Formats: sequence, structure tokens, C-alpha cells
Amino acid sequence: MDQSTDAQIVARVLRGDVEQYAELVKRYRDRYARYALHMLGNREDAEEALQDAFTRAYRSLARCEDPERFGAWLFRILVNRCRTLGARRGRRARTFVSDDVALHDAAEDHPAEQTAWREEIDRALSRLRPEQREAFLLKYVEDLGYDEMSRLTGAGVSALKMRVMRACERLRELLSDVRDDREVRVERRRAEVNDAKPS
Amino acid sequence: MRNHPERWIHRVAAELRRPVRLDDEFDRGVMDAVRAMPRHGHRPWTRMLRARTITVSPIVSGIAAAILFAVALSAGHFIGALRANRASGRVDVATDRSGGTKPGVRHSVQFVLVAPTARKVQVVGDFNDWDASHQEYVAQHRGGGVWSVTAAIPEGHHRYSFVVDDSLWVADPAAPRVLDDDYGLPNSAIVVGGGDVAQ
Amino acid sequence: MSRSLRATVVLLGLSCGGQLVAWRVAPAQRGSDARLARLDSTTRLVVAAVVDSARRTRVPTEPLIDKALEGARKGADGTRIVSAVRGLYAELRSARAALGTGAATDEITAGANALHAGMPMRTLTQLRSVSQHAGRAKVTLPLTVYTDLIARKVPSAVASDVVLSLARAGLRDGDYAMFQRNVRLDIENGADAATAAQTRARGATLRNVGR
Repeated sequence: MDQSTDAQIVARVLRGDVEQYAELVKRYRDRYARYALHMLGNREDAEEALQDAFTRAYRSLARCEDPERFGAWLFRILVNRCRTLGARRGRRARTFVSDDVALHDAAEDHPAEQTAWREEIDRALSRLRPEQREAFLLKYVEDLGYDEMSRLTGAGVSALKMRVMRACERLRELLSDVRDDREVRVERRRAEVNDAKPS
Repeated sequence: MRNHPERWIHRVAAELRRPVRLDDEFDRGVMDAVRAMPRHGHRPWTRMLRARTITVSPIVSGIAAAILFAVALSAGHFIGALRANRASGRVDVATDRSGGTKPGVRHSVQFVLVAPTARKVQVVGDFNDWDASHQEYVAQHRGGGVWSVTAAIPEGHHRYSFVVDDSLWVADPAAPRVLDDDYGLPNSAIVVGGGDVAQ
Repeated sequence: MSRSLRATVVLLGLSCGGQLVAWRVAPAQRGSDARLARLDSTTRLVVAAVVDSARRTRVPTEPLIDKALEGARKGADGTRIVSAVRGLYAELRSARAALGTGAATDEITAGANALHAGMPMRTLTQLRSVSQHAGRAKVTLPLTVYTDLIARKVPSAVASDVVLSLARAGLRDGDYAMFQRNVRLDIENGADAATAAQTRARGATLRNVGR
């Protein structure tokens, strides 16, 4: 694995070594694909937005002010591409995203339940307003602070906090039935496992 | 868990944080696009492209904005005049009149076949879904065995053929040919758009 | 686990599994193009599945549908249609890979035709690079000319060289049309195909010098 920093790789690309760009693609591809997939709702659009972001980033690489933070700069481009593509195409019917996702960590739940739970989350996410979905994903999935989110989106911190709050309320509403049943099953299974353990 | 809404939101976020993996096909696609772009190289003038923050007074920025606005207005007028001059023969329609699904700009294209013994000549191709039932693709006999029809064809690369008397497939003798061993019947190619019609 | 809960979990698993299986088995039936109704049901399913794959891999789908409709119009049987559509899909993928993902649909379609006619992949990539250096964005016309030369029995190596030289010279659309017309007329008048192509290419590139 290449140990070079992002800044070192950017410098090599700017000197003409285009093949080095592949290392940056590899570093950020999967993480940002996740964001694009949740924002746009289907793999095809997510890949298009992500590919677009990478090619735009390459084209304007000389304008990256802080190559050490190439990832954040690329992410800003991707957030904008997702907004543009999302606005242009509307929300297509969501595909089953569960087959795109590693389900091997589903320790607590039966795999079929995990799929159903994931489907419900995706469906609820798709019903959020785009700016609420964006704010929720940036805050809770990408773990960004509000200042960073403000720099990325151009929105003020209070507006972002409001969007996150509304997104949580709406998700809570949309997922309340599924959540209650699921929690009962999870709690019951925990109790059964504890009962079965030797004292 | 019903008493801990924050914990519940974090469970949703944990689900959404599951990794999304793209395959190497994606990387290849990005690198193909990037390789086709002009390479970055060490040129002194690229330093000029790096973003710099310049602070100007409100008066200076107002004057600069007014100048830019005036330049943009005159450039827009010039481009509009250029487009008007090139617009002869263009037919802009939103949908394919043949009922297919090829929206976009169309150009008038004349198809000519010399077939002295023919009783009927039609043009079929991908621009009308290979369906010759539409009147606009039925040629008229102009005399002396010359058949012609002018139709609005969408921009792009198309394959087509003449059908004589509902049964005889004839490639356009004046047009580029396409190898067609798929179905054993001849086709011609036409490229519409890009300034000239190449046939 | 209680019996009723176990039954619930099993039913949930079956229905989710069933949905997944149904989705995998019949992706072709979700949103398939109405024009494919002209095909018999088996052919339609297979063609729709290829179109679906193309959509997922971001390969243009319209040429595949056109190829199927062409076959239907020409009275080809289902096997032949499926074979033609699958072959075209492979060629479109290769053309897109050689031309880069920024390639327009008409370039990819013309590229697929050229590959089908025998153009090597490296020539396709070279054509893109040479055209860009000459200041021309699209390669649709040189690819169309290549396919025409092959159809008129110009050997592949000669056709490749000719088309690359025309692209290098930065020919305009009208020049390509004139070149194709001249070669066609020469061949119709009895000229050797390769000689006609090479001679006319020299003339066309000379006219473009200094433009």
C-alpha cells in the first residue's frame, strides 16, 4: 500500500504523472460512494456522481488550495454533484441496496431481518427532503462537525442544526413501527441469550 | 430504547455506515476519463491558476461587476447572432414524431434512391425504430426512377436502409456502409449533427 | 425463541428472500422498454436483461434496443436477435473502455461498429488521442469512415492508417464526407480499394495542411 500523503500524490500528478491519480481514487472511492448512494438512492446515479467528482477534481487539481486535505476538497465537489444530479433526475425508484452492502456484521439480527430493516431505513431516507437528508448524512454518517458542514454546503450552522433535527424527527416518525417491533425482538433475543448462558 | 431517541438515531446511522464497495471497473472508468484529459505538467503559468483571496473595496467590486455585466451582455448577443446564422435547416422538437423515444435536436436529411422498377420505397432505421409505417419515411417518386424523402433525423450516429416494395432491403449507395453480418441484410450509416451532415 | 416469533422470522425471511430472488431473476421485467413487445416473450426477456446490464454498467442502451428491433423487422429468429444484441453489448463495452467514459453515445456506437469491422482496440484509443491533439473532440466520423472502408474491402491495416492520418490532419466534417464519396466513386469506377483510399487520404491531408 502506498504510504505517500495526499499532498505528495497531488504534487506528482501535477508534475504530469497521471497514473498516480489512481491511488487517490482508491483511497476515497468506497467511502464517498457510500454518501453518494444514500443521497441519490441508486447505485447507477451514485457511481455517475462519484466518477464526475473525481474527473472534475482531476481537471481542477491545480486549484486545490490545500492538497493535504484533498479528501475534504473532493468531498465538497461530490456534495455539489449529488445536489445537481439529484435535482436533475428526481429520485428514481430505489434498488435493493442490501446486496451492495456487507451484511457480515449482522451479529444481532437474522440476515433476512437485517435486509428488511435496511430497506426500511433506505425508504425512510428517500422520503426526507434533500437538504434534510444531506444534513443528516453529513452529521450522523460522515461524522462531520457543524462548522465543516457549513463550509461544505454553504448553509449557516443554525440552518443545518434545524435540518438535522427535522430529519431525525421525520425518520423517527417513518420508522416508528419497524423500530418498535425490531427493538422488541432484539431485547427478547438478548434475554434468551443471557438465560442460556451458564451461571 | 424508546426512552433513548439519540441511541436509536445512532443505530440508524450505524446501519448507514456499513461499507459500500465499488469494483475495479469504477477505477478503470475514472482513469480512462482522466487519461483522455490534458495532462498536468510543470508550467510556470499554472501558478496563476491557484486560487488567491483578494480583498477589494465595495466601490472597486461594484465597478468590476458592472464591467463584467456589460461584457457578458455583449458576448451573449454575439453568440446568439452566431447561432441564428447556423440555424438554417434545423428543426428543434422535443419528442420523436415517430413515437420513439429520442428527444433532441433534429436535422432535415434527404434520402435518395434510384429504383426505376420500384412501386414503393421506404426508409427504415434506428431513428424510427425500424418501423416503416409512418408516412414521413415513405419516399415519393420524382420521376425517372428517382425516389426521395426528407425527414427530420435526430443528431447522432444512425443505421438505416431502404426497403423497396416491402421486401427488398437496399443499402444507400451514396452513404457509408456498415458491416452487417448480424442479420444478413445491408445497412448504411449516417452521422447527423456537428455542423455538417455526413452521408 | 417462541414458536410464533420463530414463525414470524421464517416468514419474514422467506418473503425478503423471495423478493431478492424475484428481483434477481426478473430485473428485465422491471421498467423494460415497451418497444420490445414486438419480440416473442423469451427473446424479450433475454434482451431486456442485456439492456438492464448495460444500464448498470453505463453502456448506452438505445443501440441494443435498436439492434433487437432491427432483427424483428428483418424477420430474424429469437436466437439470432439475442446473439446480435449480446455481441453488440460486448462491443459497446469495449468501445467505451477504449474511448473513455466521457465518450458520447454516437462515438461509442460508431466505435462498436468499427470494432465489429475489425479495428484493433489500440487503434481506437490512438484515434481518440490523435483527434484530441488535432483539436477535434469527436471521433464519430473517422470511425464511420473506417467501417465504410472495410465494407468496401479495404484491408484493415490500410483502413486504420488512412483514418489515423485523416484524424491527425484535423479534417472537418465536410472533408470526411468528401473523402468517403471520392473513394466510393473511385472503387465504383474500377479502382483497387486500398489504392483509392490511400490516394484520396493523401489528397485530403494535403488540403488540410496549414488550416
